[in-house]
Amino acid sequence: MSFEPILTKYRHEKDSHTIDFYRGHGGYEQAKKAIHDWAPDDLIEEVKKSNLRGRGGAGFPTGVKWSFVPKQTDKPKYLAVNADESEPGTFKDRVIMETDPHLLLEGIMISCWAVGINTAYIYIRGEMVHGYNQLVSACKEAYAAGFLGKGIFGSDFELDVTVHRGAGAYICGEETGMLTSLEGERGQPKLKPPFPAIEGLFGCPTVVNNVETLANLPFILEKGADHFRSIGPEKSPGPKLFCVSGHVEKPGTYELPMGVNLLTLINEHCGGVWKGRKLKAVIPGGSSAHVLHADECDVNMDIESLAAGGSMLGSAGVIVMDETTDMVDALLNIMKFYHHESCGQCTPCREGTGWLEKIVHRLHQGRGRKEDLDVVFDVCDRMIGKTICVLADAAAFPAMSFIDKFRDEFLAKCTNSDRSTAQATSGAGGVNV
Amino acid sequence: MTDLAFSKDAMKEYEWMLTRYPNKEAALLPTLRIAEREFENLDPAAMKYVADLMGLSPAKVLGVVTFYTHYRREGTGTYHLQVCSTLSCALRGSEDVCAHLSAKLGVGLGETTDDGLFTLSKVECLASCDTAPMLQCNDDYHEGLTLEDVDHLIDRLREEAKAGGAA
Amino acid sequence: MSDSGAGMVSWVLNGDPVESPAGMTILEAAKAHGAELPHFCYHPGLSIAGNCRICLVETNRSPKPAISCSERISDGLEVQTHSEKAVEAREGVMEFQLINHPLDCPVCDKAGECTLQDYSFDHGPDESRFVEKKNIRHTKDLGPTIKIWGNRCIVCTRCIRFCDEISGTGELCVVARGDRSVVDVFPGIPIDNPLAGNVVDICPVGALISKDFMFQSRVWNNEHTETVCGGCARGCNVTVETNEGFVKRLMPRENTDVNDWWMCDFGRYGWRYAHDDRRVSVPRRGAEAVETELEAHRDLGELVRGAWGGSKKVAIVVDPFLTCEEAHLVGRVAAGTGATVGGWLPPSGDELTFPGKFKISGEKCPNRRGVEAVLGQEVFGSQAKAVESMLNSGGVDLVIVFAGFPNADCPDALASAVGKATARVAFTLFDGAWSEAADLVLPSASVFEKEGTYVNEDGRLQRVRSKDRPGDAQLAQPGLHSASISSPWVTSELVALQRALVHVGDAERSLSAAGVFRQLADSNEHFKGQSHRGIPATGVPLGGLAPAGVGEGSES
Repeated sequence: MSFEPILTKYRHEKDSHTIDFYRGHGGYEQAKKAIHDWAPDDLIEEVKKSNLRGRGGAGFPTGVKWSFVPKQTDKPKYLAVNADESEPGTFKDRVIMETDPHLLLEGIMISCWAVGINTAYIYIRGEMVHGYNQLVSACKEAYAAGFLGKGIFGSDFELDVTVHRGAGAYICGEETGMLTSLEGERGQPKLKPPFPAIEGLFGCPTVVNNVETLANLPFILEKGADHFRSIGPEKSPGPKLFCVSGHVEKPGTYELPMGVNLLTLINEHCGGVWKGRKLKAVIPGGSSAHVLHADECDVNMDIESLAAGGSMLGSAGVIVMDETTDMVDALLNIMKFYHHESCGQCTPCREGTGWLEKIVHRLHQGRGRKEDLDVVFDVCDRMIGKTICVLADAAAFPAMSFIDKFRDEFLAKCTNSDRSTAQATSGAGGVNV
Repeated sequence: MTDLAFSKDAMKEYEWMLTRYPNKEAALLPTLRIAEREFENLDPAAMKYVADLMGLSPAKVLGVVTFYTHYRREGTGTYHLQVCSTLSCALRGSEDVCAHLSAKLGVGLGETTDDGLFTLSKVECLASCDTAPMLQCNDDYHEGLTLEDVDHLIDRLREEAKAGGAA
Repeated sequence: MSDSGAGMVSWVLNGDPVESPAGMTILEAAKAHGAELPHFCYHPGLSIAGNCRICLVETNRSPKPAISCSERISDGLEVQTHSEKAVEAREGVMEFQLINHPLDCPVCDKAGECTLQDYSFDHGPDESRFVEKKNIRHTKDLGPTIKIWGNRCIVCTRCIRFCDEISGTGELCVVARGDRSVVDVFPGIPIDNPLAGNVVDICPVGALISKDFMFQSRVWNNEHTETVCGGCARGCNVTVETNEGFVKRLMPRENTDVNDWWMCDFGRYGWRYAHDDRRVSVPRRGAEAVETELEAHRDLGELVRGAWGGSKKVAIVVDPFLTCEEAHLVGRVAAGTGATVGGWLPPSGDELTFPGKFKISGEKCPNRRGVEAVLGQEVFGSQAKAVESMLNSGGVDLVIVFAGFPNADCPDALASAVGKATARVAFTLFDGAWSEAADLVLPSASVFEKEGTYVNEDGRLQRVRSKDRPGDAQLAQPGLHSASISSPWVTSELVALQRALVHVGDAERSLSAAGVFRQLADSNEHFKGQSHRGIPATGVPLGGLAPAGVGEGSES
């Protein structure tokens, strides 16, 4: 199957980030076409027809999301671009922002035209200074060229884009956490309802779209929804950026049709497991996804297939682990992450993530008890679905799947059977309730 | 009490920032970035200055600053070495990078060298998993690190500091 | 977006079809139907945070349990508060709340009124599965009156929302995140506002502790008296908590017509004068202590009898701390003796209104309007001037002055005018020029020792109750409590005035405050139809007194 990259076509070309390069390769023609030739409602229909699904992790159909925004409202509407790429194992949006920022801007223009939005914010994670600088200079270029600001392409369409830097918090990748952060607050997710489409940023109707999602729009307009749907599986079509890291020979971002087989991805595109070692496990969709045992890796990388395979596509951050990987160690690493990143708002997540890390830490030190594994499952059960956002679920999924699928490794760490010994050696201060 | 103040340029940038949002409060995160640059770090005096400037309660600013991990805190060295330690990097040896840096600089995690040049931290995923192991030094990513790369980086930064040009 | 506006919603609560006004949350609507749901972060006076997750219930809307504090009812909604799923969800939240919470209830001031403790009994696990080391967070002063035990904090953010939304002072924030997060203040900017004490009340655990109450008593040993605060004309509804007659603390009582759920710190901490050593606690003839109260009251009766029938020139100076009942008795004395009655008010202070609408009145006394309703609208106005000039012009045979002021002196001019009368009686809390010149000095009861009614600045009639119970005097052992706090056993003006009237023969016997109030209600238009037993816990607007737009009881 031959597939030509669409979103990352020019990533290795010199000056691919400049407006001259971008326009020289047909850039901004689709935005112009949208504003001149497309009625917003028809455009929404076209995107619905393309079945473009959000690339941030949840996979919600983009056109449907847009259609939730009220047409008639006294309030301003906003687009908040989620560029807070922080899911461990994910680094795809960064590629777009650093090497082809105008592609994102054009996607933003199309999206804003369709939904009737005049103000967009790109929320980029604070650590990505290079991406931030690229976006800021791209915006400057676009304003200078008249693609942003007032009277775009001779129409009366206005659009302002502001690049907003985060400051280091995984939770700001969650859409409502990002909105709270954009409002100048601690980035804690908001209660839903109200949903962002109705009451989002600054209490106004808001569309939240991921960078990669928006980057698909010029292509959809150029080739049409039908062509877009012809790429990859019917239910989640289109090109997709897969981020592969960990124990492969050639880690990197790979643009392939949605639905590429995971083993094909690893073995053919990434040069296989490194050092000639055997595959042990793969996390297919960022660290929040259930881990797949090597036996389960003959699976297609699309939303439905991975769901059927007991995991999720998520952000398509593929983390590959070879036969030497200590799964207790790997899980401890993941548990530390969620403990560190829980915003602390909801009780089950605030307390649960810490508890999980402490148990796995004790297991890691060889001070585990058999019943600890049951406690882990119970704690996870008490976290899942009980909180405002899904960070609690995201912490629970790897915990459950690692232990489930690599139980022997965890059991080997359970040598202690005495509660008091476990307690004494863990230095528990005071008495426990 | 405080004699801190934004420079003319910073104030201009701040005022421009305000025009980008429907309310002042939304400009808090970017304003803290300006303050971080102007005052070297966000110590209480810097936070208080920002709170007063923006008409926010200082407690609110404190809550926001302590929620995020990427702001420069009081006592951070000239070069803040933040080694990514999340899974993808860990699988490819970030622990070794940390241990090497710790030994080379003679500091533990979260500590700053006596000369005030380096602060060493472990941080969570920096979205550079394909070039693991990696670290962020102030604004820059240093990717695909070998221990030799780490040595070179430190030597280069030391020379840079000696020449008086900290990034 | 559920149904809004007027109208009722039909929904199902634990299998029973019920109706509730549209727009209510599940928690509120369930409560109205008798199903109380547990909650930490929810507070009716604050915005909804939805973070504690203890109020999870099962609904037919989604497979996930819903938080009842934020989800609104709508037609067809089915809610299960005690299904296996709901119970399991709450048990889970309780276990999480407790894993890092210290088991320090024996030394925690909140014990006995701690929501976490209560829910732990109701919903919590029997034993802990948590064998790890508990998290440590800061214990420190947050301000002059408040301390935080961070380890106990469950980060419900009630205190922060209070400072943001009600006091508008914003001193508090959550610092850090995850299970490191804890309430804190900005370095050098303590929580120090006139409403600060409320954050301790609304803390559902023992994280925020009042330094004033810290280690003073176990809450279950306290006796509770539901009364109103005497600090200003707002008349905040409070509960006075005492232990063997000694005030331990004041807590606000919910009254959405007056003070919502709050009270100010002036009122909250303004009780110490009641136990001040310098209080006048023993009746005196000049400098000489009178052996028994009865004897002193007979003296008063003698003086009144001597003036009965209008044979003498009598002046009475009242204060706005008198209850309506006491004012009524003053009125009877005045009627029998033909006395001229005037009053005096303490200097007014700042009126403060907070963003959450809570108000501190500038009038620093509790019952100006009540005394006016009984003794005339001009009692503190033109009548006050009349009494003072009458005293100054000489020839007054008897003056009775009331000075039940905790924090103010009788103005010098008035005190020296009082000194010019031939016979001088002073009811007073503390000695001053007015009492030092008196022939007969009688102790005033403080607001904490009075039975009766007050009328607040809005014209709302509210009950005042004494912390003291018959027999408490015998229990008050010197030395049992700290030396600086004494608790005088005083008989209020209510009793003294009635004994005088009995002595004169104007009354057969002394009545309770409720009995005196009956007389007042029979004889005064404003109080017509009211009775002590009929006054609701939150008071009632007094006929013809409520200002326009306040209360619904103004005369039609």
